[in-house]
Formats: sequence, C-alpha cells, structure tokens
Amino acid sequence: MPARFLPPLLAAVMSAESSTVLLVAALACMLVLALVGKIPLGYNLRNLTVRWRTTLLTALAFTLVVGLMIVMLAFVDGMYKLTEDSGQPGNVMVLSDGATDELFSNLGFTDIGDIERQPRVRRNAAGQPICSREVYLVVNQQVIGPSGETLQRRFTQVRGVEDPLMAAEAHGLDLFPGGAWFCASGVQALPGAAGTAAGQQAIQAVLGEGIADQLGPDLGKPRLEVGDVFDLGPRKWIVVGLLRSAGSTFGSEVWAKRGLIGPMFGKDAFSSLVLRTDDAANAKALSQDLNNNFKKAALFAQPETEYFSKLSETNRQFLVAIIFVTVFMSLGGVCGVMNTMFAAISQRTKDIGVMRILGFARWQLLVSFFLESLVIALIGGALGCSLGYLVDGLKSTSIISSGQGGGKSVTLELIVSPETLMFGLLMALGMGALGAVLPCLAAMRVRPLESLR
Amino acid sequence: MKFFLLIVRNVRRNLTRSIFTSLATMVLVCVVTLVWSILFLLDEITREKSQNLKAIVTERWQVPSHMPFAYAQSLSEGAARQPDDIRPTDSMTWQFFGGTLDPAKRTFENFLFAFAMEPKKLATMMDELEDLTGAQAAELQENIHKLERQRNAMLVGRERLIKINKKIGDTITIYGLNYPDINLEFQIVGTFPPGRYDANTVMNRDYLNDAVDNYARTHNGKAHSMANKSLNIVWLRVSSKSAFSKVAQQVTQSPSFSSPAVKCETLSSGISSFLEAYRDLIWGMRWLLCPAILVTLSLVISNAISISVRERRMEMAVLKVLGFRPSQLLLLVLGEALLIGVFSGMVSAGATWYVVNEMIGGVKFPIGFIPSFFIPVNAIWWGLGIGTFTALAGSIMPAWSARTVKVAEVFSKVA
Repeated sequence: MPARFLPPLLAAVMSAESSTVLLVAALACMLVLALVGKIPLGYNLRNLTVRWRTTLLTALAFTLVVGLMIVMLAFVDGMYKLTEDSGQPGNVMVLSDGATDELFSNLGFTDIGDIERQPRVRRNAAGQPICSREVYLVVNQQVIGPSGETLQRRFTQVRGVEDPLMAAEAHGLDLFPGGAWFCASGVQALPGAAGTAAGQQAIQAVLGEGIADQLGPDLGKPRLEVGDVFDLGPRKWIVVGLLRSAGSTFGSEVWAKRGLIGPMFGKDAFSSLVLRTDDAANAKALSQDLNNNFKKAALFAQPETEYFSKLSETNRQFLVAIIFVTVFMSLGGVCGVMNTMFAAISQRTKDIGVMRILGFARWQLLVSFFLESLVIALIGGALGCSLGYLVDGLKSTSIISSGQGGGKSVTLELIVSPETLMFGLLMALGMGALGAVLPCLAAMRVRPLESLR
Repeated sequence: MKFFLLIVRNVRRNLTRSIFTSLATMVLVCVVTLVWSILFLLDEITREKSQNLKAIVTERWQVPSHMPFAYAQSLSEGAARQPDDIRPTDSMTWQFFGGTLDPAKRTFENFLFAFAMEPKKLATMMDELEDLTGAQAAELQENIHKLERQRNAMLVGRERLIKINKKIGDTITIYGLNYPDINLEFQIVGTFPPGRYDANTVMNRDYLNDAVDNYARTHNGKAHSMANKSLNIVWLRVSSKSAFSKVAQQVTQSPSFSSPAVKCETLSSGISSFLEAYRDLIWGMRWLLCPAILVTLSLVISNAISISVRERRMEMAVLKVLGFRPSQLLLLVLGEALLIGVFSGMVSAGATWYVVNEMIGGVKFPIGFIPSFFIPVNAIWWGLGIGTFTALAGSIMPAWSARTVKVAEVFSKVA
C-alpha cells in the first residue's frame, strides 16, 4: 500500500522494509530473551497447553481481528493497484477546463484540431502522433430476467475511441488471442441475421476482463467471450475482442467506435484526449505547456498518472475506515488477552512464589509471562494471516473517485501482499504485548512468601 | 432479587476482569453500531414503499441524466394527457450548478455544487425536510421565502459553509464549471437544520434558467452548450404502487420524450442502481465484518466467563451442597455474562449515538451521494441486543460447565 496515503507514523510501520525489520527484531528479541535470559520457557509453554481452552479462545480472537484486517487491507490494496497501474507515465490526459472527471468533460471537435501536433507528442512507427480521442460514457444498462422483466439496472462504462489501434498504443493495452478490434464501420450483422435490415446490425465491442466477467452471468455464463451478443442502450452489441486489462480501470469498460456511440447516447463531443510522450518528465512539461499556452480552447491537461492518482480519494476514505475498525477491534483483543494473562497469573501465584524462591529474578518472571502472551498472539496472528491470505486473488467490485463527483465502477483483484501479512503479525504481537504489560507487572510484584501461604 | 444481588456481587468480585470484559464489549459494540447504522440507512432508502412513494424520471440511457428543460412542465404532471390519466400528487425538478469560488485556485474547498429547484419544494418533497416540525420547520419556511423573494439567494449546509469559510449574509460568485462561462453571484441567506443536508447547497432554479437564456443574448444568439440539457432529474410523488405503474407507463410511452428518451422508476430503485457499484463492499460489511466482530466479542466474553467458572469450581460445588439446583447455577453464570453484556452494550450504543450525532455531526463515510451517516435512535436497542446475544453465545458453554460440576469430584481433589 502506498505509504504517502497514511499518517506518517503508520506509513513508517506499514512500509515493506520497516515491517520486515520490526518483525524480525521482535522475533529476535523474543528468541534472545528466551535463550540468554534463562527464562522458564518450558513452564510457560506447558501452561499454554494445559490451559488449552483459554489459549485457544484468546488466540482465536487474535485470528479474527488479524484475518479481518488483512481482508480489508487486501481490498484497499487492490483499489490502489488499479489507480496506480491504470496510467502510463508518459501519457498526458487532456480534459475540458474545469472538469474533474472524464465524465464531465466536453471537448469540442474544433477546439482540439491540432493539439496532437505539439512537439513533445511521440510518433509511432508510421510517423503518426500517438493521440487517442475518446468519449467516455456511463450507460444505464437494464438487466433483463428470463421472462423479460427488468431485474436491476447497472451503470456500465463505455469508452468510444476514434482509432482502436491508436488507443491501444496510447494506453499500452492489447487483445487476448482470438479477438479483433472493431472495424471502420464499428458494426456487423448479428449472427444468423446476415443481409437483414440495418436494425439488426450489432455494435462491435471490445470488453475489459472485469466487465466481461460482470456481464457473463446475464447470459448464464461466467464470462462473455468473442461472438457473444448483449444488450446495452437501444442496440445489440457483439463482442469482437477481450482487452488484456487486468489491474487497470480499463478492465471495467466496454470499448466501441466513438462515431457510433457518442451520438447514440447524446454526447457530441470528446471527453478526453490521451497524448503519448517519451517519459514522465515530458508528460509533465507538455501538460504545463498546454495549460499555459494553448489558446484555442480552455483545457485542463495533466499527466495520466496524476489523473488516476486523484481517483484515490475513495481508497483513502476506505483506508481511514479500516484503520478505525482495526484499532477498535484490536482494543477488544487487547482486553481479551489482559483477561487471559491476569487469570493466568492469579491462578499461578504459588508457582511464581516457588520460582522466586528457586532464584528466578523479577525481570525473568516478567519476561516469562510476557513471552507467554506473545506466543498466544503469534499463534493467533499467524492463523489470522493464513485465513486472510485465502482472499488473495479474489475479484470484487468497487468504485474509485476523486471525491468530487464522477468516479468509476471497477472490478478489482484483492491483493494480500507480504507487507500486509507482516503488518498483520506485527499487529498481533503489538496487541499481545500491550495486553501483557499490566498483568506481567503484577506477576513481577508477587511476594514469594505471601504467595505460598 | 437476592439472586440478582448475588449476580451483581459476583460481577464485582473480580472487578479487573469485569472491567476489561466490559471495555471489550463497549468498543466492539461501538463498531457494530456504526456499521449497522450505515447498512440501516442504505436499507431504508432502498426499501420499496407501497404508499406515498416517490418516482424518479431521468434520461433513459446516460448517466448523468441531461434532459431539455422543456420536458419539465409535462413530466411534472406525469405526462398526463387524457382525463383519466393519473397525475402525481406533487413533483419537483432537479438541476445542478457546480462551480468554483476562485477560478485561479480550483481546490475542493473552493468548489460549490448547488441543487437548483423550486424553493417551495424543499418543504414538500425533500426527505427529512418534509418531516420537520416546530422551530426548524418555521426556519425552513423563512428560508424558502427568502429564496423565492431574492433570486440570487442561496442556502448552504453548515459543513459546507465551514469548508468554504463563509457565513450567512456573505456574497459569493460561483464560476460555472458544468455551465462554462456562466458565473453567478449569490447571497447566502440561510442554512439547513443540522444533519443530512450539512454538505448541500440549494438555489432558485429560475436564477440558473434565466442565466442560460440570457447567454444567447450576450453571445450573438449562440445558445449555451447546456441550454438543451439543463434538466437533470424530475421527482414525482404518487399515492400508491398502482398509481406509480400508471404514471411510469404514461411517461415512458409519451411521444414527447423521445430525444432523449426517459425512464421512470421508483426512487428506491434509482438509488439501488447507484449503490450497485458498492455491492461487494456492502456485502462485506454485512456478512463479513459484523459477524466477525460479533464472534470476536463472544470469544472475549466466553474466555472471561470460562476463566471465572474454572476459578470457582469449588464455590459451585459448595453452592450445590447448600441446595442450589443445577439450573440456578446455570442462570447464575449466564446472569453474570448478561449483566456485563447488556449494560456495556447499551452504554456503548448510547454513547456512540451521542458522540456521533451530537458531537461530531455524523460518520463521514461517503457512499454514493450520501456524505455522512447518523446513528438511529434504535441503536440503543441494537446495543442491548448485541450485548445480550454475544453474552449468551459466549457464556452458554461455561454456564453449562458450571451446571455440571460434580460435587464429589471437586471435594475429592481438595481432599
């Protein structure tokens, strides 16, 4: 998870490097204390097994807290991956002035005639400037049941592009084998309807992986494939290709010919222009140049990575909510472990007395009970991590937005990263340590003779 | 009564354990209350009503919806053309005007998004505002009169006022973003009652429509790019489901609304479409997060009660010898757990209600167009329910264990 979205202290703890260092340091400390400090570790471990019910119940609480946190972080990590991987570093995205999202942008056809002739715009092998002119629409799609009734409506994102090959080059996307881009007319006769009226022509569509999965169940299949026909708006659409687009917002879009779908849905303007430059520095320079010096129309140009980064506002809100829930659940876990450790100590005051008489120092007893609590936490945390790891790779839907209206519905993949797992273990250890402090101090203060009376 | 006092004394006996169990219950009930409040509101607004329901008319295919304002009059009458056609009991139009207060600094803080509507509809069509009573209703009426009398008047929610650093009486200029080149000057004349509309802004629709009409006069007859798509939504109030079906049929079959085509659905259905993108998130909150918290809470309670029972096996045996029946021992242990669970649950839910609603002005967790969530007053009963349920779930096994304590076995160990 990108550390820049977190409060500084948490960001420091959650970064991959510091998580590893902290976890290794914590485990090393436990080991060193156990080996060097002459701690009665066998006694503690035996107690854990003898009171296995208490150990299990306490560890299970840790398991649930850590497991749940990992699932929630996997969701947000998936969202961050989408917003970070969707933009090409060398791309510049041009919207109309004042538009915060593609959805609200209207670039007049005449306003942007020569924009791709800017010197920084890269040219492809054919010598053409790499520029994709696009219209982005959200279409209200009816989901029709078997008997013709509307079961529900969903918002389907449709991107109309002028030249699909140019758009693919600009966005760095290609098709899965067996697919093709839509043709110059953007339509084809429906299967079995060749030579019939124009009304039975279907719009050729290229689908992202996520939307293909989402639309599949409407036709009773897991995913739409090339050749499948679906309804969207007033027309039939036929799938001609599937975009290799996992991990980007384009995976949740239907692509088709702009000249067809713009007028069909009442958007007679471009939403955006995507210009390819050589690198991120050139993208930034071109954006500034367009914003300051392009006088033909009021534009808002920005590096594409910046545009997608601004769509992280929802992710940030989710992350804050997750932190809140995790902290509160952890407090519950800490209270649970305190109960366990207080009980363990009150049941074993005589044992503590005997050990003190045998020569164990106060600090050794403190460490002994502290390690006992950490072992419970580690077991519970490890189980929670294993449980949470099960969601890795699962698909989910969500929305990403800049928090100023608009936004995109996306299909994302839940990601359980090693740093999330390490953070989960660290959190479990932290909870175990926090819950053990007071009971261990109490154990340290037990007076040997009094305890044996 | 004596039995209850015995339970209370037992709870007080190991105060540290009772306090920690109670604290765990409180924090976990707090989280469940917050999550359930969000789910409760989402369920409420997507629940289909059978009477006095609202219908929503929007552009059939595209989101956001843009229709010509010429549709407004006929749509407000439910496209009724024949004498036996059904007319809505009330209606309102929605137009959206968004812009920045500072064209050189277009930050979120400088952004203002106003609902342009007929002022009087605030009191008759807007959720929650239509139910106001007493001083709040009177204040709203006063604000409505101001909006009607003064075309450039504006109502701004409390939270938004703070964000833009303005107060009632201030004059502002909004430089149009969705209506390019239309810059409107407003005077903030009032605000909304605290709650749902804290982040919203309302203006008189005539002011916006006049500005759009005037645009052509000042631009050589060239109409504004939004001139033919300035109407976003129409709300209709109908008396029943059957009236809705008839009105929906009138609207969708009317030849007047063909370019663009329109659709008519119940408000709850329209909102459900918006929430579709959050489907998995809502599912996770309902079926993953809440159950996991409840199980965690049950585990914490179970652990505490189990420890307590194990420590008191001798005491349980003595009680049996003194004549306590096994069922009484079971009730004794269950009672201790219930006392902690019920008390902590209610206190936590009540405190959450007070802190969220009265002190911090709602949970800022924007889902769709809902900026923040408030805790319903029912939450206090949720707290009681959660406390009772988790205490019972967590203590049933330890209580059964207490019930089945064998006197001879316990005393033989002592001997």
